[in-house]
Amino acid sequence: MPPSKPDYYEVLGVFRDAPQEDIKRAYIESAQRLHPDKNIAPGETELFLETQQAYEVLSNPKRRNLYDATLPPEIEVSSVIKHEVSFSRPSLMQLNEPQLIYALLEVSPREQKEKISSSPLNICLILDRSTSMQGDKLDFVKATAVQLLRSLRPEDVLSVVAFSDRAEVIVPASLELNKKKHEERIRMMQASGATEIYKGLQAGIKEIRRTLDASRVNHMILLTDGKTYGDEQACLKLAEEAAAQHIGITAMGIGHEWNDIFLDALAGKTGGSSAYISKPKDIERLLIDKFKALVKSYADEVLLEFKQQGHIKINYAFRIQPEGGFIEVESPIHLGPILQDTALHVLFEFLVNPDALDGDVLTLLDGSIKTSIMARPRPVPPIRLKLTRDIMQNPSVEAPPAQILNALSRLNLYRMQERARAAADAGQFDEAVRQLKNLATQLLSLGEHSLAKIALFEANHLEKSHTWSLAGNKDIKYSTRALLLSGDKEKAG
Amino acid sequence: MIVCSNCKQVNMTGAMFCAECGALLAGKDSPITHPLTTDKHKTVIKKSSGDLYQPFGGSDTWGSLHLIETGQVLPLSERNEFTMGRISEDQPIMPDIDLSPYQAYDAGVSRLHAVIKREGARVTCMDLGSANGTYVNGKRLSSNVEEIIHHRDIVALGKMKIQILIKY
Repeated sequence: MPPSKPDYYEVLGVFRDAPQEDIKRAYIESAQRLHPDKNIAPGETELFLETQQAYEVLSNPKRRNLYDATLPPEIEVSSVIKHEVSFSRPSLMQLNEPQLIYALLEVSPREQKEKISSSPLNICLILDRSTSMQGDKLDFVKATAVQLLRSLRPEDVLSVVAFSDRAEVIVPASLELNKKKHEERIRMMQASGATEIYKGLQAGIKEIRRTLDASRVNHMILLTDGKTYGDEQACLKLAEEAAAQHIGITAMGIGHEWNDIFLDALAGKTGGSSAYISKPKDIERLLIDKFKALVKSYADEVLLEFKQQGHIKINYAFRIQPEGGFIEVESPIHLGPILQDTALHVLFEFLVNPDALDGDVLTLLDGSIKTSIMARPRPVPPIRLKLTRDIMQNPSVEAPPAQILNALSRLNLYRMQERARAAADAGQFDEAVRQLKNLATQLLSLGEHSLAKIALFEANHLEKSHTWSLAGNKDIKYSTRALLLSGDKEKAG
Repeated sequence: MIVCSNCKQVNMTGAMFCAECGALLAGKDSPITHPLTTDKHKTVIKKSSGDLYQPFGGSDTWGSLHLIETGQVLPLSERNEFTMGRISEDQPIMPDIDLSPYQAYDAGVSRLHAVIKREGARVTCMDLGSANGTYVNGKRLSSNVEEIIHHRDIVALGKMKIQILIKY
């Protein structure tokens, strides 16, 4: 519970040493959310007044100094979010060659006394209805969309956009909807035309923005079975704009012909993931699972801002849970969501060059974690994240912590698949075949027989024809990704 | 560095799994500087990409398609009309020239994409209503309208670029 006299820094969600521009930005964001003109939630007018008061004091350097003098010493504990970091090794070694170290970051809600209520949804389904969707695919999509529309709680908003080479709003974003009429409109959807994803996203974000609200889970779900041509850059730019407004993107590809690298990048911009639907009949299950996960959202986004340290590179970052996914490593990093029952786990690989090993302690990363929690009208105070390791002459003898080893052993399979793919893309088929065979060996040793078989089949296919089979690379990619998650569930259960 | 005990691949210090064979390396943190074994398995010789046909092999070959990305040359002979596209498993569509072995999926080639026709000395290309269009030297063709093409023109089916070689 907040104390009777709130800490102004906490009210605005900034660090005590925040520069003026941060304070201003935080105030504007907060004020937009809490402004009495648009806010109807009881008690939030008081929060708005508090925000204003905090800003009045902190934006005036003189008053800020006076105020700072009255503050108790800073306790670096966030009341809302907690985080934990484990490393693959307790220390780095003084070496004349580059070395690797892994860190696993876990972010979760601090113990809650009362049950957290689920936030209302603001979701837009962006459905591909190009010619190739005809038949089973579109039928399952339509049936699922109708089912989702019926299952909405009164406070939820679901809009539906259909696109081919143009976009059409089938169900507008609105709280007062004639469901019967709109179910009928979903059923009337016909397949025709080419796939232009940008058109769909553009119409989708427009609908989302109609009912955009920081207390809602704002999310676009793109379903497509094809590739888009020429508008990829526009799509990625739109995803960045969406991310800036806390609108998430999930991209689902049906069948074999969509571009998984592009959809990964698109969703990744917002901390979302891509998913692979190999058979039309899986559309219903995967879409409903996605909805369930969105209903359980606790924080829709966790953002890591950091300054690049000299001679250290984040080689790789991967979200292990809640949804396994590719993470772009440019600051700020969109790490992904936290669910009510699932913490966020992200694994980082740092490449440390010898020039960085100057002194006794090395800072791998210096930054802060920012979270936005829908159910909390006030901004969440950021958490400082500073990852450091001692530099020693001798190697450490300690075994790596089990959770890192477990996460890495699963990720190892996924990365072998990635390497095979990169090799094949570069025309190095011998290398790709070898990697796939090695992957099959590892899968066999883990008892994943059916997946090992697929890897071997693809190895043979690549060897003979220098192409993947139709389903090949996607089957392996998303199955090894799924292993990451199942691995974690086993551990949890 | 760490030498993988399974495949002798040299990995960076701190690596947990071998970058080559995927075996667990952890616990072998000690930097043993093994001499680089001259193992045969590391030298991978890249095969030349596909066999290059003689562009104008047979006597009745009137032209050929030079696939720019992959380097293959496909001869046009015996007939005066060729449809181009890719064979689809679930539809009974068979283009005369199946481009699926040359990454046609990735390039966005439709199942029945375009047709090349010869009438005397005149050679034309026509888009068959493909999803991603047909381009001649960068200009998009209207569907179902013939466009005259010349020796060395670049025809693109979606993203697949093909240079047209015509024997006059």
